[in-house]
Amino acid sequence: MSALLEVSALNKHFGGLHAVKDVSFSMAAAEIVGILGPNGAGKTTLYNLLTGFIPADSGSIVFNGRTLRGLAPYRIAGLGISRTFQLCRPFVGMTVLENVIVGGLGAQAGERGDLEARALALLEKVGLSGKEQLLVELLSYGDQRRLEIARALAARPALLLLDEPFAGLGSGEITDLSALIRSVHAEQGLTVMLIEHKLHEFMRLVGRVIALDFGEIIAEGSPEEIVRHPKVIEAYIGRGDEQAEEQADAA
Amino acid sequence: MFGKRIDYAGAVGFIVFMAALPLVFGGNYLIGVLTVSVIYGIWAVSWDFMSGLTGRENFGHSLFIGVGAYTAGFLNTAFGFGGWWSLPAAMVMAMLFAVIIGLPTLRLKGPYFALAMLSGAVIMQRLMLIFWEQTGGEEGINGIEPLIRSQLGFYYFALAALVLVTALLLALARSHWGLILRAIRGDEATCQAAGINVTFYKIASLVISAAFAGAGGAIYAHYQLQVSPQLFAVVTSITIITMVYVGGMASIYGPVGGAILLVLLTELLREFGEWRLMIYSCTLILILFFVPHGLIAPTWRRFRSKLRRAQ
Ligand SMILES: Nc1ncnc2c1ncn2[C@@H]1O[C@H](COP(=O)(O)OP(=O)(O)OP(=O)(O)O)[C@@H](O)[C@H]1O
Ligand SMILES: [Mg+2]
Repeated sequence: MSALLEVSALNKHFGGLHAVKDVSFSMAAAEIVGILGPNGAGKTTLYNLLTGFIPADSGSIVFNGRTLRGLAPYRIAGLGISRTFQLCRPFVGMTVLENVIVGGLGAQAGERGDLEARALALLEKVGLSGKEQLLVELLSYGDQRRLEIARALAARPALLLLDEPFAGLGSGEITDLSALIRSVHAEQGLTVMLIEHKLHEFMRLVGRVIALDFGEIIAEGSPEEIVRHPKVIEAYIGRGDEQAEEQADAA
Repeated sequence: MFGKRIDYAGAVGFIVFMAALPLVFGGNYLIGVLTVSVIYGIWAVSWDFMSGLTGRENFGHSLFIGVGAYTAGFLNTAFGFGGWWSLPAAMVMAMLFAVIIGLPTLRLKGPYFALAMLSGAVIMQRLMLIFWEQTGGEEGINGIEPLIRSQLGFYYFALAALVLVTALLLALARSHWGLILRAIRGDEATCQAAGINVTFYKIASLVISAAFAGAGGAIYAHYQLQVSPQLFAVVTSITIITMVYVGGMASIYGPVGGAILLVLLTELLREFGEWRLMIYSCTLILILFFVPHGLIAPTWRRFRSKLRRAQ
C-alpha cells in the first residue's frame, strides 16, 4: 500500500527547546493512528507542523504525493487535511449551522455542492440536530467538541487530525464520539490521526500507535505492543504521571 | 418568506420616506442636510462591510474619502473630467490605497492595520498641505462642477447611490462571502483550518469598502464643489464609526439609520450654540450605554419578530 502521508526527519525548535525531534513515520489511507505521549511531548506541535500553522525547521512532509512544507495552512487544508483544536475554537457569534457551513467554504465555489444540506446531515450525524440555530457559545462543552468534528468533516477531508477529542467529556459522551469516529472511518474510508490521553477508548479505536516523548518517537506499534513497551511504561510510570493508572487499566 | 417580505417593505418604506421628505417640507436647507446625511450613510455602510463584519477596525476611513474626493476634484478641475468619469476614477484610486495599506498590514495580527489606516489619513492630510502648489493647500481645490445642477436632483442621485451601495453590500454580507467575513471575526485560525484564505478575504473586503468610501468622497466633492484637507480629518473617521455603533454593527443597513440620525441630531442641536458638542456627546454616551448593540438594527429586528409572531 502506498502511503497517504509520509513524514521524514521533521524537526522543530522553540528557542532552546527541541519540541519535535527527527520525527519520521508514514500513514496508509484508511488507517486510524493514535499519537500517545505525556504532557509537553510535542503532539500538538506535530499537528501544527503537519497543517502549516507553525513552520518546521527541517524535514519533509509529503501528502498524496505533494510536499507540504512551506505551504500556508489554508492551502494544506485545501489539499484535504482537516484538523480540530485541543481547545475548541468555534466561530463565535455565529449559529451552529453557520459554523458547519463555513467548514465547507474552503472549497472552490463550484465544488461545494449543497453546503446547507450537507451541514444539516453532519449535525444530525454528530448528534446536534435541533440545535442548528443556537449561537455556538451557548453549547455545552461536549456539544462544542462534536461541532468541532462536524466543522472539520464539512471540508470533506482525506485525513482528519483530532487533538484530544475526548478531553473534558464524560464516559457516555466518549463512547458516542468514538462510535462516530469509527462510523465516518468505516463509511468514507477516512484516514484519522488522533491524540488522546484517555487510553481506554483510544486503545480500542486506533489500529496503530506512535508514542512520543520529549519530541521523539520512542515506540510504534499495535496498542497491545505499545502498552507493554518498556520505554512507554517508563515515560508514564517512571515519572509518576496521573495517566499511569489508566495506562495500567488499558493493559 | 414572511421575514424577507417585511425587510423589503421596510426598505421601500425608508426610500419613499426619504424621497418624500423634501417634497413635503421643502427648502434648500433641509435638502442640504439630507444630502449630507445620505453621503455619510454611504461612508458608514462601507465601513461596516469590512470592519463591522471582520472585526478589524479601521480608524482611517477618511483616507479613502479624501482620496476619492481629491481624485474627483483634481480630474474635474485640471482635466475637465465630467462627474461620470471622475466617480469611477475616485473609486479606483481609493481601491489602490486599500491594497497598498491592506497588503502589508492585514496579514498581521495586532493593531497594525488600525494604526496604518489612522496614520495614512493623517499623513495624507499633511501631504495636501506640503504640496500646496498642486493641491491648493489649506484652501484645497475650488470650482468643481456639480454633477447635477438642481439641488433636489442631486439629493435624489445621492439617495439612489446610497440605496444601491447598501443593497449591494447587504447582498454580499448575506452571501457566503459575508459568512466568511463573520467567521474571520469569530476565529482566524479555524478559518485557515477550514481552507479559507483569510488574508485574501480581508484585503478584498477592504478594497470593496474603499471603493464605496471613495465614491462617497467624489459625490461629496461634486456636492460641495470644493475639497479641502479637512476631508482626511480623523474626526470624520470617528464620526463614521460612531454612526455604525449607533446603527448596529455588522448589520449593514443599521449604519444608514445611524448616519441619518446623527447628522439630523447635529443640525437640531445647532441652536444650542456652545452647548451643542456637549449635548451631542452626552446623547451618544447615553445611547451606547443603554443600547450597546446599537439603536437601529436591533430595534428593527425586534419589530420584525413581533410582526412575525402577530402573523
Ligand atoms: N508556539 C510555541 N512557542 C514556544 N513553545 C511552544 C510553542 N508551542 C509549544 N511549545 C512548547 O513545546 C512543547 C511541546 O508542546 P505541545 O503543545 O506540542 O505538547 P503536547 O504534547 O501537545 O502536550 P499536551 O498533552 O499538554 O497538549 C511544550 O514544552 C510547549 O511549552
Ligand atoms: Mg497538546
